[in-house]
Amino acid sequence: MDLTRRTLLKTQAAAAAAAAANVTLPAGAQNILTGEDLHLQWSKAPCRFCGTGCGVMVGVKDGKVVATHGDMQAEVNRGLNCVKGYFLSKIMYGNDRLTQPLMRMKNGQFAKDGDFQPVSWDQAFDEMARQFKRVLKEKGPEAVGMFGSGQWTIWEGYAASKLMRAGFRTNNLDPNARHCMASAAVTFIRTFGMDEPMGCYDDFENADAFVLWGSNMAEMHPILWTRVTDRRLSHPHVRIATLSTYEHRTTDLSDMALIFKPNSDLAIMNYIANYIIQIGAVNREFVEKHCNFRLANTDIGYGLRPENVLEQRAQHANDAQVSSPSSFEDYAKLMSQYTVEKASELSGIPKERLETLARLYADPKVKVMSLWTMGFNQHVRGVWANHMVYNLHLLTGKIAEPGNSPFSLTGQPSACGTAREVGTFSHRLPADMVVNNPEHRKHAEEIWKLPHGVLPEKIGYHAVQQDRMLKDGKLNAYWIMCNNNLQTAPNTNNETYPGYRNPANFVVVSDAYPTVTAMAADLILPAAMWVEKEGAYGNAERRTHFWHQLVNAPGDARSDLWQLMEFSKRFTTDEVWPAAILDANQGHKGKTLFEVLFGNGEVNKFPLTGIDPAYENREATAFGFYVQKGLFEEYASFGRGHGHDLAPFDTYHEVRGLRWPVVNGQETRWRYREGYDPYVEKGAGLQFYGNPDKKANIMGAPYEPPAESPDAEYDLWLVTGRVLEHWHSGSMTLRVPELYKAFPGAVLFMHPDDAARRHLRRGQEVRVVSRRGEIRSRVETRGRNRVPQGLVFVPFFDASQLINKVTLDATDPISKQTDFKKCAVKVFAASVADAGDVQ
Amino acid sequence: MRRSIFAALISLGPCLAAGVIFAQDAPRLRGPEPFTKETPAPPMSRPVTDDVRVMRNYPDQPPVIPHAIDGYAMDLNANKCMSCHARKFTEQSQAPMISVTHYQDRAGNTLGGLSPRRYVCVSCHVSQTNAKPLVENVFTDMDAMTEPERQPERGRR
Amino acid sequence: MTAECHISSLVVHSRPERVASIIEGLGLIDGAEVHGGADTGKLIVTLETATESQVIERINAIQLLDGVLAATLVFHHFEPVQERE
Repeated sequence: MDLTRRTLLKTQAAAAAAAAANVTLPAGAQNILTGEDLHLQWSKAPCRFCGTGCGVMVGVKDGKVVATHGDMQAEVNRGLNCVKGYFLSKIMYGNDRLTQPLMRMKNGQFAKDGDFQPVSWDQAFDEMARQFKRVLKEKGPEAVGMFGSGQWTIWEGYAASKLMRAGFRTNNLDPNARHCMASAAVTFIRTFGMDEPMGCYDDFENADAFVLWGSNMAEMHPILWTRVTDRRLSHPHVRIATLSTYEHRTTDLSDMALIFKPNSDLAIMNYIANYIIQIGAVNREFVEKHCNFRLANTDIGYGLRPENVLEQRAQHANDAQVSSPSSFEDYAKLMSQYTVEKASELSGIPKERLETLARLYADPKVKVMSLWTMGFNQHVRGVWANHMVYNLHLLTGKIAEPGNSPFSLTGQPSACGTAREVGTFSHRLPADMVVNNPEHRKHAEEIWKLPHGVLPEKIGYHAVQQDRMLKDGKLNAYWIMCNNNLQTAPNTNNETYPGYRNPANFVVVSDAYPTVTAMAADLILPAAMWVEKEGAYGNAERRTHFWHQLVNAPGDARSDLWQLMEFSKRFTTDEVWPAAILDANQGHKGKTLFEVLFGNGEVNKFPLTGIDPAYENREATAFGFYVQKGLFEEYASFGRGHGHDLAPFDTYHEVRGLRWPVVNGQETRWRYREGYDPYVEKGAGLQFYGNPDKKANIMGAPYEPPAESPDAEYDLWLVTGRVLEHWHSGSMTLRVPELYKAFPGAVLFMHPDDAARRHLRRGQEVRVVSRRGEIRSRVETRGRNRVPQGLVFVPFFDASQLINKVTLDATDPISKQTDFKKCAVKVFAASVADAGDVQ
Repeated sequence: MRRSIFAALISLGPCLAAGVIFAQDAPRLRGPEPFTKETPAPPMSRPVTDDVRVMRNYPDQPPVIPHAIDGYAMDLNANKCMSCHARKFTEQSQAPMISVTHYQDRAGNTLGGLSPRRYVCVSCHVSQTNAKPLVENVFTDMDAMTEPERQPERGRR
Repeated sequence: MTAECHISSLVVHSRPERVASIIEGLGLIDGAEVHGGADTGKLIVTLETATESQVIERINAIQLLDGVLAATLVFHHFEPVQERE
């Protein structure tokens, strides 16, 4: 019996006696609390984790988050959270939170080979500004860069984009979303001329069939999976087909689990297209009215370093993104190669099962929702894979209406809202505009009130290229925010870590916790997280969702927004902009970057009085104006009237998010469809208005092999990924004891026969070795993932088993997104003497 | 020089105080030091199977599972969890009944049994292993604030 | 033998003018704690003891305090104490 219980019993005993004697006891001695003591301040917020965008209610007392629960009013999740969401209350309270800047020092000075010592913000920013100015002076803007995040709030990403592009005049800005959904984003634009899904989560309640391509929703999008399973279990006619390279919790609940050989999804989709054509199931009217046909350049390489033999050999490594106009006949001819026999042979799936799958798409009466995540996007042909699934929906006209929906799921809370819509990719500007289009740059300069010519046109370094350029000494001043890239980038021992420790480089990491990446930096800046700041995220269904600052960050920790804006005060235009531009624009001369970027009369036009007095707002207080509102309204002006309309700032603090375009106060659930989308012209029925001719592109592309496949020596496929309990390399979830204890460490999931063949037992320590590097792990032959022979799966959240030392830095050549799902490894016992030990 | 970074961090006052992180487990959070060093894989942990209920951190938290669930079927034909936790089986099994919230559908209507949206128990309820936490979590129990005298241990924080 | 923990509560009827000294006397009795009732002379007291006979001993001791009119047992609960404590 512990003290708490003892006290409770005593309180009960006293209460009983008091009742018997008709005595009133002083408050606090009763065993039930009443009144003010019980009061918690409840506020809404979106979840901090994946791209689903669940609503949570956050209970605060005395400046601490003490409880969270699923928001009943949030349409996304209606009161449900997954286990991570239910433990949001504890993510900010790991006892190793960073509370002051730490810099590598020797003898009181910054030293690349020094040890971390606490410094003030002034010391930190002084040194950082000195280093950035040195690099800008010696090498110019192309040697400065930033790696951001799909976990940034909308205004953080927007402020970063302004600082890097307009302030430092470089497009070397990329988000970790590059690793996550670049293939999806790129293909949306290539197909529809506009990014992001046409449908929304309401499709879950309207579909007759769900086809999951490379997505383990049960673990990775658990709350959306509740909507799928709800639909399936409530409506017996509904079918779930899951395509994957191994069995998992999602296949457990699927009507069809189709386990295919890695990369053969391309052949399967082309077979389905062929099937649709062959049996005459093409929706001719739809295709003629709404679609163009194109054929993609083929033999496009693997996004490796240009000297790699695979790139040298590839015919179109340098113009992978190019495609040419074609016709239905040519497309059909290309598809005709993909017979059921060929698809079955390449994939290993029996013919009858492939036919059953194909019928779901071909049957005009079956409303199909296709869902995909990393299996598709982290794919050396990720863009093609995305195209191929759109092809199926376009050929049959099953698109942009309730239940008929090709739907790309996202991994980060604001992959859509910040990385894509704000445009923090190395080639993008807000509202789907791009840096290499002069008109787009001009438009951005006008909105930002900047001199013409300030914005650089050259596309910056993407994620993998940033690592290569750091290593090669061409990128020298580097700021990493809100991500743990040294743990999550590919081939880290060879391509990522060397750049961080390259003596020519100065690497800054802003984070809430000391991550693997932070530990390899030169300067660590302590960050505020989640409800320690006012924020906004955009989820996978175009829903923009706001929250207030509910508690203060510990110690000197400050939000990324404050860091970006405060740092901008240390530069003047004379130091960073060309003299020619300043001579032509005298008004901008001698100003700080803060003044020209954030004191431009737009960002700083909303006074502090507009802030809800019930909440603190540290950034607004620090800068003297309603920073978040100013940034948001300036940003929103990019998209209003162009199909990206956002509601007024204050509206979002009232509602549980709205799906853009928000026109006349109404959100849009299905884009491109008359009756749902106000941008479709009356009488048109359907318009893919993102493209000038208002048509979508059906893109023909073939099956091509992966960059690396198992051979006699490296005889196993390695697939990497996540688990339900951990997220973002475990930087938050590993610090919540309940989540940690639920899945404490990475293991190597292996088929029991593969283990037996290698004389390995469950729990035994093994080496996982590729041509790039190796790690040690433990064999798991049971549990939630059941891999086929010849394939192993290792999650990447565990920093003691850095599986990305083993992975290959091959990317889709078009989207530049890494393929974390396919490389070749061998596995053998770590030492002969080591017995299988389970502690 | 890289070797000494972690030691230096530990000595640096409250932000990274000694004893907060258990050194042998630090690689799980921060990686090896230096990064390129090969790290042995920590042993696998055993599931907790003592069937002792664990207090929730706050009322809305789904309780953790105090027993092993290896091999539990959760597919279109069977849900093993419900063979003990469904209302009608709790007398035999003496297992806690699923919460009444689990009878509600998406619209908030109360159903006659487990709502299909709650079918996948393990999305919210997780079993535990005997792994020791890597770092202390200083989350504050709301009771420690409302009635500190009854929480002498927690109240001190 | 496994250890036990006994929690009990009493109403201690006291002469109003002696309440202060009775509370002082209760403070000297092991495991006794006053929760209120001083203004009405009906003191609410809990006892925490290891055995049942100690409950009786304590009640007898309380009854012998100067000014106590009666000590009535209202609530008694006991449960085994786990070894880890």
